[in-house]
Amino acid sequence: MFLTRSEYDRGVNTFSPEGRLFQVEYAIEAIKLGSTAVGIQTSEGVVLAVEKRVTSPLLVSSSIEKIMEIDRHLGCAMSGLTPDSRTLIDHARTQSQNHEFTYNEKIKVESVAQAVCDLALRFGEGADGEESTMSRPFGVALLIAGIDEKGPQLFHTDPSGTYVQYDAKAIGSGSEGAQTELQEEYHKSLTLQSAETLSLKVLKQVMEEKLNNTNVELAAVTPEHGFKIYSEADLQTVIERL
Amino acid sequence: MSFYPYTDNGGSALAIAGEDYCLLASDTRQSGEDYKIHAGYVPKAFKLTDSCVYAGVGFSADGVALVKRVRQSIEWYRHAHEKTMSTPALAQMIATVLYSKRFFPYYVGTILGGLDENGRGVVYSFDPVGSFEAELHKAVGSGAELIQPFLDNQVNLKFLPEVERTPLPLDVALQIAKDAFTSAAERDTKTGDYLEIFIIDREGVNVERFDLKRD
Repeated sequence: MFLTRSEYDRGVNTFSPEGRLFQVEYAIEAIKLGSTAVGIQTSEGVVLAVEKRVTSPLLVSSSIEKIMEIDRHLGCAMSGLTPDSRTLIDHARTQSQNHEFTYNEKIKVESVAQAVCDLALRFGEGADGEESTMSRPFGVALLIAGIDEKGPQLFHTDPSGTYVQYDAKAIGSGSEGAQTELQEEYHKSLTLQSAETLSLKVLKQVMEEKLNNTNVELAAVTPEHGFKIYSEADLQTVIERL
Repeated sequence: MSFYPYTDNGGSALAIAGEDYCLLASDTRQSGEDYKIHAGYVPKAFKLTDSCVYAGVGFSADGVALVKRVRQSIEWYRHAHEKTMSTPALAQMIATVLYSKRFFPYYVGTILGGLDENGRGVVYSFDPVGSFEAELHKAVGSGAELIQPFLDNQVNLKFLPEVERTPLPLDVALQIAKDAFTSAAERDTKTGDYLEIFIIDREGVNVERFDLKRD
């Protein structure tokens, strides 16, 4: 591997002769080491669920934050180097607030995904005077869930700055198995409640530990309540439905 | 005399919001100091989108510069969000632009006429630094003192004994706008030459031109 990729896998802004950017590809690999995150879009709202790796019984599981609010109508789940996501989410929050300040309307979900991806590629040396904030690609993938005039939507962004819309998407270490499961179980007429159960069911299958109300995090974006992270009690009721 | 970067070019504009239409009218005279008339046809109302028209009275050059800037923002917005800016969004954005020049303002009184997302007529009026308000009818400019009370009476049926309120039909609104400008051109030396009336409805924007007093 290193024999064939030598030299060209070092610079973040140097293409290999085959036309590849290895550092970006390695960043995408970093996500496959992260904990699994699942997003499901329904006509009633979008559900986000993530696995939390509670590595020690002394660890306070509520301090692991893998689902975050971007705005009242936007939420985000992540996998990979989660500290990297802080910069991206900060940017998304700023863009969302700026949009509301300037236009007195909620920003579209796709526009937020685009904003995140604009930042995702701003690594390496800044081109003519443009300041770059990152010396390497962001090693994190995001599932951006939200509601706008087009209804509930789910977007996936990766370190290459690509964003794609999904009905249901899994990222992280268990993503392969989880995605297959989602593909089999997903249908357009899914209710929010069945999406809650499906997301946990999928996580349960790919998790090593036994799923409980402290080692997963569940959130939803709905027209009624906007973005909301489920409390341990609410989470427990969903788990009991499994 | 010290340098003063502003001129009052005069002129008037009005807008009336109907149930499913909006009407925005302005004269086209550009005046100078005292009784000077620079030109007879310098429009101060401009179409911004298929559902919104702008008029700026006061310092003509600032009005034109503001429209240029706003139109560019509308284009950027269209590329970024793949949709046309709605009239309420446009109103908030113009307020932001105006306030961003709080200490060297665009010297214009601005009105927006258009349809909101539900297809209802809306009028927004702004002061030079971005205070704005949604209204149903509004007159701005050198003839505003003459036109506003006329609109209050004819559109909002103010100062009348108890009357039944019915939605204002477009043809009546058009006649009110024409009468308002004929009268204003008679008394206000800075209003005259031609009248442009923009009619905004679900179909889009249409302009009609009429003659006003030219002396």
